[in-house]
Amino acid sequence: MGLWLARRAVQAIITFVIALTLLFVLMRLAPGDPVQRLEGERPMSPQEIARLRQRFGVDQPIGRQYRLFLGGVARGDLGTSIEYNRPVTALLRERLPATILLGGTVILVNFTLGMWLGVRQAQRRGSAEDRLLTAVSLAGHAMPSFWLALILAWLVGVRLRWLPSAGLSDPLLGAAAPIAVRALDVAAHLVLPALTLILVTLAGTMRFQRGAMLEVLRLPYIVTARAKGVTEVLVTWRHAWRNAVFPMVTLLGLWLPLLVTGSVFVEAVFAWPGLGSLAAAAAGNRDYPLLMGVAILSGGLLVGSSLLADLAYAALDPRVRLS
Amino acid sequence: MIRSAPPPPALLLLALLAAAPASAQRPASSIVIVTGGEPSMPVPTLMEGPQNQVANFEVADHLFLRLANLGPGLVTAGDRGFVPMLARSWSRRDSVTLVFELDPRAHWHDGAPVTARDVLFAFARARDAAIAPKLATLTQHIAKVEADGDHRVIIRFTHPYAEQLYDATWHVAPLPAHLLAQLPPDQVAGSPFLERPIGDGPYRWVRRVPGEFIELAADTTFFLGRPGIDRVIIRSAADPDARLNLLLSGQADAMDNVPPPLSNLQRVAADPDVRLVRVPSPTLGFLLFNQRARRDSTRPHPILADADVRRALVLALDRQVLVQAVLGEYGEVPFGPASPVLWIRHGAGAPLRQDRSAATRLLAARGWADHDGDGVLDRNGVPLALSLSYPGSSAIRRAMAQLIQEQYRQLGVRVDLAQFEFPVYLERRDAGDFDIDFSSTTQDPSPSGLTQSWTCAGGTNRAHYCDTAVDSLITRAIAGQGDTRTLWRQVLQRIEQGAPAAFIYAPTYVYAVNRRYRDVTIRPESSWISLWRWSVGPVASPQTAGY
Repeated sequence: MGLWLARRAVQAIITFVIALTLLFVLMRLAPGDPVQRLEGERPMSPQEIARLRQRFGVDQPIGRQYRLFLGGVARGDLGTSIEYNRPVTALLRERLPATILLGGTVILVNFTLGMWLGVRQAQRRGSAEDRLLTAVSLAGHAMPSFWLALILAWLVGVRLRWLPSAGLSDPLLGAAAPIAVRALDVAAHLVLPALTLILVTLAGTMRFQRGAMLEVLRLPYIVTARAKGVTEVLVTWRHAWRNAVFPMVTLLGLWLPLLVTGSVFVEAVFAWPGLGSLAAAAAGNRDYPLLMGVAILSGGLLVGSSLLADLAYAALDPRVRLS
Repeated sequence: MIRSAPPPPALLLLALLAAAPASAQRPASSIVIVTGGEPSMPVPTLMEGPQNQVANFEVADHLFLRLANLGPGLVTAGDRGFVPMLARSWSRRDSVTLVFELDPRAHWHDGAPVTARDVLFAFARARDAAIAPKLATLTQHIAKVEADGDHRVIIRFTHPYAEQLYDATWHVAPLPAHLLAQLPPDQVAGSPFLERPIGDGPYRWVRRVPGEFIELAADTTFFLGRPGIDRVIIRSAADPDARLNLLLSGQADAMDNVPPPLSNLQRVAADPDVRLVRVPSPTLGFLLFNQRARRDSTRPHPILADADVRRALVLALDRQVLVQAVLGEYGEVPFGPASPVLWIRHGAGAPLRQDRSAATRLLAARGWADHDGDGVLDRNGVPLALSLSYPGSSAIRRAMAQLIQEQYRQLGVRVDLAQFEFPVYLERRDAGDFDIDFSSTTQDPSPSGLTQSWTCAGGTNRAHYCDTAVDSLITRAIAGQGDTRTLWRQVLQRIEQGAPAAFIYAPTYVYAVNRRYRDVTIRPESSWISLWRWSVGPVASPQTAGY
């Protein structure tokens, strides 16, 4: 087990470093200059541009920039954002909670609801309910997230005024408001962005779960269990579902990095102060340090979640051995 | 019978949906302004480089007072027309010396009095190119700043010129020396002061929630009078649709510059709770004709180096139609490189109207005709074909570029549209890699900024336009040698004649403000600078608003 873990960790680190190196190089090969961009429509003198280039280290050869970057990462210093002129770590720290809240809610609801509905569909294969759920979920899946976000924000937020149309909290509540009131306020702001993402992603989880359940439900041991008089609930959840959950573990492992970057458009439409919109702006602004910071976070999550998925397999399935 | 477990996610969703918007209980004396940028460093002398953003300046204007503000006419030349703020009065000792009397009632938000030492401290930081390169350039004609007692400041200039008072008052707002003097300049940006700036303006800092908003509270002891609105929230939303939704859902009370397309304005105008306020913008959009060959600035441009061809390209455009199609009634065709915020534009002249026959004659006189009958003019076998570069991020330029292409097609000029991502667009523009650049610029209230782009040695003269007569006129206008207003008008007229660019549009910014606010004034040079004079009425205000 220890050896396996060490080997997987080394593999993960190598993958991670290769990905970061590629991103670092490709970003600098792309046209567009991060300092020149700051000029925008307010002209800066060539001297000012040169000073800023020096300050942010983009006047150095790419090899030296890379060495400085790696040295910084080793010290836990991801550099200073060119756009915000603040440490990247501080920016990531500020935006991470909102991202975890939105992404975590989406994953939680998506997987609980998606798996439940997928199981239900498998149980009722070919029924009207199965067909209806398939049609509805695929319709949600087919809708572009930004379009759905715009429609929900306009309909529920602007037209009906049932829920806030944008933001994470009501600034007029004040920092001194009771925590329960603030929690309710955040929950209200969370509904529309989370609902948008859930609606466009639920179909995938449902289809995965439905397919996996159908595979298991036709196996002989399920027939045996039913013949022995085991209740349908137990057959479904104890005997069938436990063996149909493994594809979902893989899916969850792939989903986790989307916590960081998977909701760029939705974050923009709902003015959600998360990492997705920060990453998108960093890419557009050629804010190399910030973009690398987000990449480290999402890359780390991807590698980490893949490792966790392997461990989860071993824990859930006695046939899998970590060797 | 098939049974399944109860759906736990449904309970969660129900709980979330039960949460009502808390903004229903809106405090009476507050305002939420939604804006596109996120102010992250709203402190004078720190708003340089990446922080040189409108969002920072607008928040800084609530926190920090200048010695004086621009008056209603936005005139930057001479000593009249300015509005006393931190300085209750000023006088001229000689042609290079101004004396300011500080208002002794002024105080910092921590209670310390504002003194001449604070003014000296801020100017010392601003004039240090290592700390504030842009400010150092803007204040380069200030030779010395001295204190005479606690409340008198003497500013000496290197030479006589028309905008001395403007340079002394507009660029630099005093900083609290008692809090910052001990801090090395390079440590201010990371200091606790930045987490909670202490100013001397009508509003004091309360808190910043990253990525969301900044909260300010009225300084009830503000020496020029208590602000009429107690709490100000500056809320950030980069996406234009999010900003509109915040306003139309009642989560925000005001919004800066409703973005195109025109349908957005129609949506806002249809809301009975919101009124639109038109404000002259500092923005100017123009087609810049490159007078040097692409990627080789040592050679003249094969087509655009010819002034008559450039004039023909200006005459070929129906700019009124372009503005009307994209901006509707919220824009105009400028005369010369003067946005609506520049005072020199008044009375300068009217832009040329479209005259396609005259354009054709001009081109024919230079040998351009459709010799091969393919619909495109040519000369010596070379077609009159040009590329038009613009950034895809600009909705206005994107829309206008299509129309411009069509108008030029009717003249027989082939224009290839070249849309780029913004950083790529800038890189190519600054490298001179363009025929026609669809530029947009944001101007300061001072016309002296024209030096940068429209003089032979201008630092941002990317089209290599050079007219020594324009240089001479600008030099004399800046120095105040003669009637400044007349000289600036001549500058604009001369530039129009030389046709280094076709000046296409000058938008009118349209702000949206809830009708419950009274005494609404939005300023072109800094949108919310007069906010402290606004008040909140119990019922919708019938008053009109303006600038």
